[in-house]
Amino acid sequence: MRVAVDIGGTFTDIVVLSPDGVLHESKIATTPDDPSRAVVAGLEALLRELALAPQLVAEVRHGTTVGSNTILQRTGARTGLITTRGFRDVLEIGRIRMPDMFDLSWDKPKPLVARRYRLEVGERIAADGSVIEPLNEREVVAAGERLAAAGIEAVAVCLLNSYRNPLHERAIENILRAHFPQLLVTASYAVLPERKEYERTSTTVVNAYLLVAMRGYLRNLEAGLRAIGIQAPIRVITSNGGMLAAPSACDTPVFVVASGPAGGVIGAARLGQARGWSDLIVFDMGGTTAKAVIVEAGRPSMTSEYEFRDGISSSSRFVKAGGYMLKVPAIDIAEVGAGGGSLAGIDRGGLLTVGPQSAGAVPGPACYGLGNDRPTVTDANLVLGFINPQALAGGRLPIEKSLSAGAVAAHVAEPLGLSLVEAAHGIRAVANAAMVRAVRAVTVERGRDPRDLTLVAFGGNGGIHATDLARDLGIGRVVVPPLAGVFSAVGMLAADLEQVGLRTVTRCLDDLHTADLAAAKLDLADGVAARLAADGFGKDRLAFRWEADLRHEGQASELTIHYDGDDPAEMRRHFIAEYEKTYGYRDDSPIELVKLRVIGRGLSEQRLDFKRLTIAAPAAAAAARRHVHFQRGRAATLTEIVPRRALARRPRGGPLIVEEFDATIVVPPDATAHLDTIGNIVLELD
Amino acid sequence: MQIDPITFAVIKSGLDAIADDMAYTVIRIARSEIVKDVMDFSAAICATDGQMVAQAKTIAQHLGAVPEAMAAVLAKFGTDLNEGDAVIMNDPYHGGMHLPDIFMFMPLFEAGRRRAFAVVICHHTDVGGRVPGSNASDSTEIYQEGLRIPPLKLYDRGRLNETLATMIKINVRVPERVWGDLSAQYAAAQVGKRGLNKLLQRYGADEVEAYMAELIDYAERSTRAEIKDWTKGRYEFIDHIDGDGFTDRPIPIKVAVEVRADGSLLVDYTGSSPQVKGALNSTLSFTRSLTYLSVRCVLSREIPNNVGVFRCIEVKVPEASVLNPVLPGPCAARALTGYRVFDTVLGALAQIVPERVPAAGEGGNSVVCISGLRENRKPFIIVDMICGAWGGRPDKDGLEAVTNASQNLSNMPVEVMEAEHPVRVEEYAFVPDSCGAGRWRGGVGLRRSYRILAREALLQLRTDRVAFRPYGLAGGGPGGRSQNFIEIGNRREPLPSKVTMTVPQAALIVHEQAGGGGFGPPLGRDPHRVEEDLADGKISADFARRHYRVVFDENGKVDAEGTARLRQQAAPR
Repeated sequence: MRVAVDIGGTFTDIVVLSPDGVLHESKIATTPDDPSRAVVAGLEALLRELALAPQLVAEVRHGTTVGSNTILQRTGARTGLITTRGFRDVLEIGRIRMPDMFDLSWDKPKPLVARRYRLEVGERIAADGSVIEPLNEREVVAAGERLAAAGIEAVAVCLLNSYRNPLHERAIENILRAHFPQLLVTASYAVLPERKEYERTSTTVVNAYLLVAMRGYLRNLEAGLRAIGIQAPIRVITSNGGMLAAPSACDTPVFVVASGPAGGVIGAARLGQARGWSDLIVFDMGGTTAKAVIVEAGRPSMTSEYEFRDGISSSSRFVKAGGYMLKVPAIDIAEVGAGGGSLAGIDRGGLLTVGPQSAGAVPGPACYGLGNDRPTVTDANLVLGFINPQALAGGRLPIEKSLSAGAVAAHVAEPLGLSLVEAAHGIRAVANAAMVRAVRAVTVERGRDPRDLTLVAFGGNGGIHATDLARDLGIGRVVVPPLAGVFSAVGMLAADLEQVGLRTVTRCLDDLHTADLAAAKLDLADGVAARLAADGFGKDRLAFRWEADLRHEGQASELTIHYDGDDPAEMRRHFIAEYEKTYGYRDDSPIELVKLRVIGRGLSEQRLDFKRLTIAAPAAAAAARRHVHFQRGRAATLTEIVPRRALARRPRGGPLIVEEFDATIVVPPDATAHLDTIGNIVLELD
Repeated sequence: MQIDPITFAVIKSGLDAIADDMAYTVIRIARSEIVKDVMDFSAAICATDGQMVAQAKTIAQHLGAVPEAMAAVLAKFGTDLNEGDAVIMNDPYHGGMHLPDIFMFMPLFEAGRRRAFAVVICHHTDVGGRVPGSNASDSTEIYQEGLRIPPLKLYDRGRLNETLATMIKINVRVPERVWGDLSAQYAAAQVGKRGLNKLLQRYGADEVEAYMAELIDYAERSTRAEIKDWTKGRYEFIDHIDGDGFTDRPIPIKVAVEVRADGSLLVDYTGSSPQVKGALNSTLSFTRSLTYLSVRCVLSREIPNNVGVFRCIEVKVPEASVLNPVLPGPCAARALTGYRVFDTVLGALAQIVPERVPAAGEGGNSVVCISGLRENRKPFIIVDMICGAWGGRPDKDGLEAVTNASQNLSNMPVEVMEAEHPVRVEEYAFVPDSCGAGRWRGGVGLRRSYRILAREALLQLRTDRVAFRPYGLAGGGPGGRSQNFIEIGNRREPLPSKVTMTVPQAALIVHEQAGGGGFGPPLGRDPHRVEEDLADGKISADFARRHYRVVFDENGKVDAEGTARLRQQAAPR
């Protein structure tokens, strides 16, 4: 039995794949002060309800927004930095560039470590790794004293050229740990042993900044799970959709900063493979934010480094600046602060605004009656009739429509002199515009036409807004997968456990022999197989994929090719062909093999297969009708409310609302809906 | 043809994305740090008539020069352009800017008709001439500056022009780097061509052409609409370059910006210095380019940067001046002059749209060029560019450690420089107290120091803002001055702002950049911001007392009483 848990800003989603292969879901309000509380309580309740023993849980998979929220809200550890003398400003100097040209009002993000807490020590390693100046240990102790006295909790250590020789960084780690056991220390050689001091420093600093929050959180989670009898290992979803064991995540939280949304993206890509759709826009709308990712040829768009920033957070392959550089592999996600819980209001200029402030889970939207009287997107949807007026989360969360109406009236309708319904339409329109921006960031702005793609929408609110977005962008088909409200958690169960083996070679291909390559590969394969064995995958349940990064001498980046063999001449031919295909010319200069990589996959016995999905049948809902205001300026339409299974293969015309345990899918009057073989709701727009 | 708003948006962003893809390709396969790390290159797409329609987020300074260069190419080849051609050129007197910047143009054909051009410009590490780097400020004729290339086909219907290639390789000091970077340009242009082809197939070639034209018209309409809101009149400003390296005679850059009723501008440089002896002369194309982008910086960000904007700006420059030289005027160090054009035009624009213009920044990146021979007698050339600080802004402090806003340079990582060249960087840090004081202070400048590990090296400095410091606005003080030093043994000596000299092994070269000017009177600054600056060591207690009249207690907190007393004393002045 396997469990997946996705903690969002508003709700915590739990999915259990029971021993008989059936998926069960649960949703509970997130507990922001200690997110592990909701996980433990929710899981315990679900297992009890299903009469399943906690001891049967073999694995807990987990996506968490602890990393990203900590940076967003600047609530990380008080962090210090120790550098080589002369280089404490590397972190703040960065790479100098600006994200947009001609913008004289741009603000460069403030560094996560203020200059006063960036201290220098005497030492120097040369570019070839030799020691030019030994480490001044007295200065290290003095720096530790200053940082400790200033109340610093975590210290990043990044010395020049340490990627060639970590001797001094190791020594600093040891000195600080011996003298200042209260300081958490993270050194760059252990996080990112690569050339380029800014990228390495920044990544190390982000790692240090997250240590306290991530450790505290995972420790609580583990203790809570153990307390209810779950002994299974916890695996945290990484920013690139892989998984990391909890103890590793505690040391290198920088790899799981974008953990939260990754599960849904992996799930959507697998779902697309099952249906034969290779090019998708993945749209995930929760309570606090909305995210968009593009899947091409079945693979989510990835990036090897990204910058975490406020507002619209989107990586760009070549515009550096504007955020905190994390040189770690990640899914390429655009995110905006618009979700069901986003607060609406009127700004000083009289403009209607929505988000990025969110009412969160507590106090939540006005309709919860828990003390927030400002309207949210959910309140607007309730006023318009899109959402069930009695309760959310499968009836567990009673709500009060009149509170929504009061909030929308007082804060939007009256100040703007609009009717209640018009004001609610306005809130929806502003939220939609923000979400369209996220989708555009990964499609239109990269020159990809959204009209050529299918929109896969999930998250508790994804199905409520998806058709509006599709109409704005000219997209013809929207797909809402089963268990849409908890799909990120479902997707985690479709992920594979991967271990990557990497060897930096950096040798001219002419100097390499078959025996060299064969030996290096054997070594790499053994290492990865051993790690996968530790994760519980025997030799018969492994799959390997080999990659080689090559370049012409003097170039800054490599071209990656797939090559299984161990013949350097054959490898050269592959590279030359790929190079010519990519860049349109042949280059006769010498070729270097920079890195050799193996991606080892553990093949789960119980990996989720979208072609054979069994979902616990929801309690039968009574057939209902209610008035829904689909469009501004038009009268409300009396609309039928049905469960998913009321749909069939044959398309049925709107208007219609599909209500599920934790998600609502709006079928507007100008769309049709049908159910496909997998259980997806497929909406076709005129 | 009906303009569909979604198609319009997709094509607009699609062209930008193709240009960005081209830029990304250059970074991936170029061989020189100046290109792959410092990012001194640019990529653009031109319509079939050579009008620039889209650009990558790279060096803005190059792009305004594309129309002139394109015109030279079309004048030379006219209809003799074919599928598979790649035309290169670098000659300032044939539409180029300075010799190290080699342009490449690749035409794209569809159904037998030329539809567009992919354009890639790279700053090359060396193009021959009397000094390594081909960038000296003390040349006196263009013939000393390196290989001049008029518009010539490097590829003719897909075939390499071996004659031209051999001529280039034999005339430069680091042929494998230069050829590697030219190949990167060629590859990037191919990537651009492929992207454009896809776009033409998806939307139709005629349609894309029509949308390109609409994109240019749209930029022109938006620009005119905005300029129409400005107060009509003539606004003047003057700024200076310290000297051309031969004499300390200041070089004035003078501008008058006239706002016309039809939403256009006349930018008149009459009264600027005559052509100078040294290599600071800026070609007309480069002067135009800087003029366009200075105006662009105060327009709404949504306006696309293409020739539609340029159409609204008329530039008038006297011939044989430092902003429009004639043969054989040298121009290798013309970038510095361009930066001063930027500062000067913004000084005039500050009178028109004061809420949008910051005080002067550091005055442009400095160039520190160190070259010589490695142990194995192979040559090395480092062309390092140091950026940058912005002046204080109408509503906030100036940025520090940031590219000059007139381009989008990056920096060379210390670890890359040390791994590739026989130097060791000993410091890369802020220079405290180099900010201009103001209600909103300027950014502090940067210091970078280089220890020479080779037996000896040739040092070339192209720096400025030693005599003429970056101006403040609205009562703000000027930024700190730039300085250069050399340290041999324990002796530290100042160096002039522009120099070409041999330096011995183990010498330490120190360059300090100017800081940005301040905005608004310094006494208007919140004492708590002064306290924060002190705590971070960006300013000293002495600076705080002198400029802000703020004093502190022993814990570094504002001494409110002492500050009030000091400010009382200062009040009558």
